[in-house]
Amino acid sequence: MSGVISVGMADYKTARAPDLLLTAGLGSCIGICIHDPVLKVGGMAHIMLPTANGSLGGNPAKYADTALELLLKEIAGMGTNKSRLRAKMAGGAQMFSFPGRPLVLKIGDRNAEAVEQELKKHGIPLLVADVGGSFGRTIHFDVGTGELRIRTINHGEKVV
Amino acid sequence: MEISQFQLDALREIGNIGSGHAATALSTLLQRRIEMSVPEVWAVPFEQISNIIGRLDAPQATIYVKVEGEAPGKAVFFFPVESAEIVVQALLGTNESRDMYSDEMAQSALKEVGNILVSSFLIALTQFSGIPLQPSVPALAVDMIGASLDAIFLEEGTLDELVLFIDTQLTGIPEIEGQFIFLPDEGSLKKLLGAMGL
Repeated sequence: MSGVISVGMADYKTARAPDLLLTAGLGSCIGICIHDPVLKVGGMAHIMLPTANGSLGGNPAKYADTALELLLKEIAGMGTNKSRLRAKMAGGAQMFSFPGRPLVLKIGDRNAEAVEQELKKHGIPLLVADVGGSFGRTIHFDVGTGELRIRTINHGEKVV
Repeated sequence: MEISQFQLDALREIGNIGSGHAATALSTLLQRRIEMSVPEVWAVPFEQISNIIGRLDAPQATIYVKVEGEAPGKAVFFFPVESAEIVVQALLGTNESRDMYSDEMAQSALKEVGNILVSSFLIALTQFSGIPLQPSVPALAVDMIGASLDAIFLEEGTLDELVLFIDTQLTGIPEIEGQFIFLPDEGSLKKLLGAMGL
């Protein structure tokens, strides 16, 4: 029987098949999912901001760059081969808009861009990016199959 | 920054007074007697809010107001979708079911209620601190509460790590609950507490 491991905000976890990783209520945050299809292990990080640059310490799992590094390190410790790793991501929405006020910083978009760049830097292919829109997402990631289930309240549910 | 139990108690008192204003305004608007109280106030790092609000994917109506003035920040009021619908029905004087996700009239009524609630808390904060705080036009999201809150928290401005969380209970309409959050921008909480001699 598979267990469900919950990943909180600014948090990351690894798992082995048949366990699932879950993060609930992603808005402009992003859930990064990584897995090794051969070993059937993987991990998920729930990042909040693009980069730790300039921030005064704090939790490194909050940022795309430092969280990915931590996650990859832990996944490497499970005996994976980095060249086999595959990535998917979801989130990065824009939940609110104020009429007549231009959005200077779309943090969701910036997060998605940052994750994409960091993955590229690590040479990990990004197979799925379900990002943007103006709705929340809850995601389940099956580290064995690499299936990512994305649930929303009013915008359907899908497996990618 | 750190916040003491004494400061929290004082903030709860201010929350109580704010909710008193809110209750008066809501009673007038809904034409029935509404009472509100603040049983609890917390100051927590944002990453730990799920310890207080529970399920991050629960559907809630979230009203978001930017606070401008000398102690800027963000103010948020949210309640479960079912509660929001009951409030809207009371406001519109109907028992008709309303789709809170798409009904524009319902949403605009809800923004108005949220605006009143948020303003009431801001007025109480201003009364005690002497620091004028002005609310912006409200924005609304009806979606997973975690998603709405993370978007608010992360949108522009540097924030104090602490979130001021004011639990509110409404009586007068059955089965309504709601919560108020104040997210002070960096330095604002210190300024407010300082101005209140706390």
